[in-house]
Amino acid sequence: MSRVRVLDVGPLARLVEVAPGTAAAWASALRAARLPGIVDIVPSAHTVLVSCADRAAVAMVTSQLTHIEASAERQVEGRERGATVVEIPVVYDGEDLDDVARATGLDADEIIARHTSSSFRVDFCGFAPGFAYLRGLDEALWVPRRSTPRTRVPAGSVAIGSVYSAVYPGVSPGGWHLLGSTTIQVWDVDRDPPALLEPGNEVRFVAT
Amino acid sequence: MTDRSRHRSTDRALELVDVGWSTTIQDRGRPGLAHLGVPTAGAVDPGLAALVNRLVGNDESSAVLETAGGLTVRAIGLVLVATSAELAPRALTAGQELTVPVDKERTWSYLAVRGGIDVGPVLGSRAHDTLSGIGPAPVRSGMRLRVGDDPATPVAVDVAPHRPRPDRFRVWPGPRADWFDDAASAHLTASVWTVETVSRVGLRLTGSAMRRVVTDELASEGIVAGAIQVPPDGQPVVMLADHPTTGGYPVIAVVDPDDLAALAQRRVGSTVRFCHAQ
Repeated sequence: MSRVRVLDVGPLARLVEVAPGTAAAWASALRAARLPGIVDIVPSAHTVLVSCADRAAVAMVTSQLTHIEASAERQVEGRERGATVVEIPVVYDGEDLDDVARATGLDADEIIARHTSSSFRVDFCGFAPGFAYLRGLDEALWVPRRSTPRTRVPAGSVAIGSVYSAVYPGVSPGGWHLLGSTTIQVWDVDRDPPALLEPGNEVRFVAT
Repeated sequence: MTDRSRHRSTDRALELVDVGWSTTIQDRGRPGLAHLGVPTAGAVDPGLAALVNRLVGNDESSAVLETAGGLTVRAIGLVLVATSAELAPRALTAGQELTVPVDKERTWSYLAVRGGIDVGPVLGSRAHDTLSGIGPAPVRSGMRLRVGDDPATPVAVDVAPHRPRPDRFRVWPGPRADWFDDAASAHLTASVWTVETVSRVGLRLTGSAMRRVVTDELASEGIVAGAIQVPPDGQPVVMLADHPTTGGYPVIAVVDPDDLAALAQRRVGSTVRFCHAQ
């Protein structure tokens, strides 16, 4: 019997509540099960949404959850092997380095050292196409978001907010602290896949 | 002959004399990419978009124009079009204009052209997503939209099916229904709501506010079209085609997928009522 809680989202979708940090593994296990009639599988911080084309597909997903949970657990245990690793070169000249230094008591060099030695994993994507929430940030760098969000954050900005780090895929408003920038395009609709950082990918930042 | 007709078809276009209100190019959207943060988009009323496509012999996946009205097009070459206002195909000769007026019965109108609107697909769809900007460039007055090749299908005049206009929209309990007190859930189906704003992203309703019993901050989670989110002001918002892929407000209920298009068509200022789905 599966230990997760499954919530109804209307007749065609279910929301599975999962342990923090395991949503990407759940999403990957659901995808690997190749159940017919699934339209979207959306991991987030504590849940995975599964939306289906018809009620038969919903029933199929529900009946398979115990197997999928076992598969997700195997992935969580074995995830040091086989994950796609993405390295992102960063120029650490962000506007918020000083603010982060004040909030954490670390100097800029220590902030950079801790950011580049953190091993990140894409927890989920949201906020904007290709915006990946990267879990694994060194605890010393956990700082609340800026009290006043910026109305315009440049594309390629490398930032931290709460327990996450991220690369802004395009120009957008944003409330995270900017540590630097990268020239790597994390989102390109003409590329397949368009997102460089997909749920489950492992990510490291490299100072250049 | 084949070559010649193909050549001629590429010369056909629709010129946008007046772009009207909230006009976009739409098709059936790009489902399956929500895990990358990409909204589904596509026609807000997919059934009506499919119907105008059928009226000109198109495949239902052909790109159409969706508009809140005031759209005027001029034919470049001979084109066959159908609008949701007329629900019958009509030929436009070169230079002839056609207006899609504001529809007093609904918010979203459609114009299909035989061959479809021929813009390049982005991530597998020709739908313009107003939230993320993905898809073809926004349309503007003066623009010429190329018309695709003739589908070489017979144009059989469709009988426009009677579309029931429900006076109550069915809702299912949402994933966070237990974040609200019993009065709020009863209130959702017992009271009369007024449509305050409508966009492709969502429909905002006003009425007396629904109160939460769980006041924790909800970590953003995946949402579906039809989800009824309740922000801190207690006034519900129904998610439509361009809704964000995740949301941080609790979802108290979900509109039945079969009733969603009719709800999305309700005009600003009109009233709506909900009832529990069985």
